[in-house]
Amino acid sequence: MLVADVMTHKVVAIGPDTPLRDVQVLMEQRNIRHFPILMARASDQVDDELVGIVSDRDVRLVGADHPRAPAGLKASDPVSRLMVSPVIVAHPEDPVEEAAKVLRERKIGAMPVMDDGKLVGIVTGIDMLDALVRMSGVYEAAARLEVEVANRPGALAELLALIARRNVNVSSVMTTRGDPDTMSFVLRVATADSHGLAAHLRDHAVSVLWPPATPEPASRS
Amino acid sequence: MAAGDAGARVALVTVGALRFVYDPALAGFELASEHPFKPLRYELTYDLLRASGVLGDDEVVAPRALDEAALLAVHDERYVRAVKAASAAAKVTAAAPPAAEVHGQLSPGLLASHGLGSSDNPIFAGMHEMILGVCAATVTAIDLVASGQALRATNFAGGLHHALRAKASGFCVYNDIAVGIRRAVDRYGLRVAYVDLDAHHGDGVQWLFYDDPNVMTISLHESGRYLFPGTGHTYETGQGAGRGSAVNLPLEPFTEDDSYLASFDRVVPRALESFKPDLIVLQAGADTHRHDPLADLALSLAGMSTSYQRVVELADLHSEGRLVVTGGGGYDPYRTVPRAWALAWSALSGRALPLELPSQWRTRWQDRLGVELPTTFAEDVSRFPPIPRREAITRRNRSVAERLMNTIEPLWATLPADRGRAREAGLT
Repeated sequence: MLVADVMTHKVVAIGPDTPLRDVQVLMEQRNIRHFPILMARASDQVDDELVGIVSDRDVRLVGADHPRAPAGLKASDPVSRLMVSPVIVAHPEDPVEEAAKVLRERKIGAMPVMDDGKLVGIVTGIDMLDALVRMSGVYEAAARLEVEVANRPGALAELLALIARRNVNVSSVMTTRGDPDTMSFVLRVATADSHGLAAHLRDHAVSVLWPPATPEPASRS
Repeated sequence: MAAGDAGARVALVTVGALRFVYDPALAGFELASEHPFKPLRYELTYDLLRASGVLGDDEVVAPRALDEAALLAVHDERYVRAVKAASAAAKVTAAAPPAAEVHGQLSPGLLASHGLGSSDNPIFAGMHEMILGVCAATVTAIDLVASGQALRATNFAGGLHHALRAKASGFCVYNDIAVGIRRAVDRYGLRVAYVDLDAHHGDGVQWLFYDDPNVMTISLHESGRYLFPGTGHTYETGQGAGRGSAVNLPLEPFTEDDSYLASFDRVVPRALESFKPDLIVLQAGADTHRHDPLADLALSLAGMSTSYQRVVELADLHSEGRLVVTGGGGYDPYRTVPRAWALAWSALSGRALPLELPSQWRTRWQDRLGVELPTTFAEDVSRFPPIPRREAITRRNRSVAERLMNTIEPLWATLPADRGRAREAGLT
């Protein structure tokens, strides 16, 4: 999954001369939290230049009686006086996990997406969360299976081959790291018989953490 | 409605008030050999009720045929076409799994996107006709009750609550319950409350009516954190006009009778009282039992029986008795499921079951199945090993029910409260 798959394509950008009060209104009306700021160039042949970005938090505090309100700024001032620049940007072909890492490391809420000098989208932390939720497969009807395998090449392949032998589709695989010798995986498997699948895996010496083993029907009264 | 009218209706429906919709053909197929879903349970249940002397000749009715167009009220047309094509192709290739080329335009990818051809939902010959027949039996039960010819009716072959608009899921190809509810709403103008007691979340029915204020879906199930299909969180409450019309009570694995019934009592009576249904549809999946190999709830037959009695009482209180009961899950199919559904029938009919299972029933089915069958309806629960975390499970279930009620009760106040259209028009 790439940034292009999760970003918002229709970006609302503003010019550097836009008064802050207009930015405030636009944020409320359009329910937008980040505005890239584009500067028009002299020639029509060249794309507008990305010169800055503002977030709702910066804009809301303008003119407020608040210790963190930007000093000396009035609502009539142009946004260029408040915007952050240079701007941290993403590329449409960046993997989402890379983009998510940058957002977290730089502690920012959004990145304009630039392709060859042209603004083509914007990607936010919420987009990342949506992508993660989709990747986890929770929108598919499936059961959760938790297994622990040896930390060596081929261990996951062997696990998946065992699942394939039961003709069960895997909706997602997530890794949680255990001690150095093992890897734990949370899989979402499209079967209502996850106990049957777990028994099959246990028969092949896979350590299944969930679901728990159930007693054999023969042992019941 | 005037008191006199109500009296007249009660007099009408007490004549032949109970119906058991039965078609032996719906017990005579398998999804695949070794598949955990055993349609034969339906015949064992019927036979057990007959042998126990609690099901009369005049109470058994054959389903009326259902035009496949009825499926399109809830299913995607392309999906129904794919099921039909796969079903027909499987016939051509007889026992062998149908090859991709036999399906013509049905690529393996397309089949997989419709959930067909997995181990849960294998393609089998005549699949379309058979599951259409299951839908017909549920619709027959709905018609009997909605039209006033019966007060209560059952289809234990039905209850395929996981089937989605365009996808087979969790052993379910067509959603007979949704087809039946759709008809009760559209044709009879009824407000329908759906109570799903299967161990698995009733996701298919929920999603098909998620924005419909005329259908309330209530599901008690083992938490999706642990069990297929993974949904059924308390915060799934419906959307749009149907906000508040989906009620989900996820329960801890190894929940036993007392905590189960306390959870039921905290939520279901208030939901029905608030919703005021014209008809209640109960999905009586029997996989909540402790011996079920696919799920982790730990009910006894006595607890399940009590839950069925509760639903019958609530139907008397809130839907003038009108109740349709379907089957559902149940993967200890020969020892547990027939007894559970016999107890459901006993709750519906008010007829006591004998203490012992009829010996001719035991002998007949033991010989045929090669498994040892129980001798009594009641279980010796003292032989169940104790559940170690009982107190923690009970506490957790209680707090989930509280959280659910805190979220959803305010929403019930905003659900359209008017009764069904047919009622207003005086049609029922």
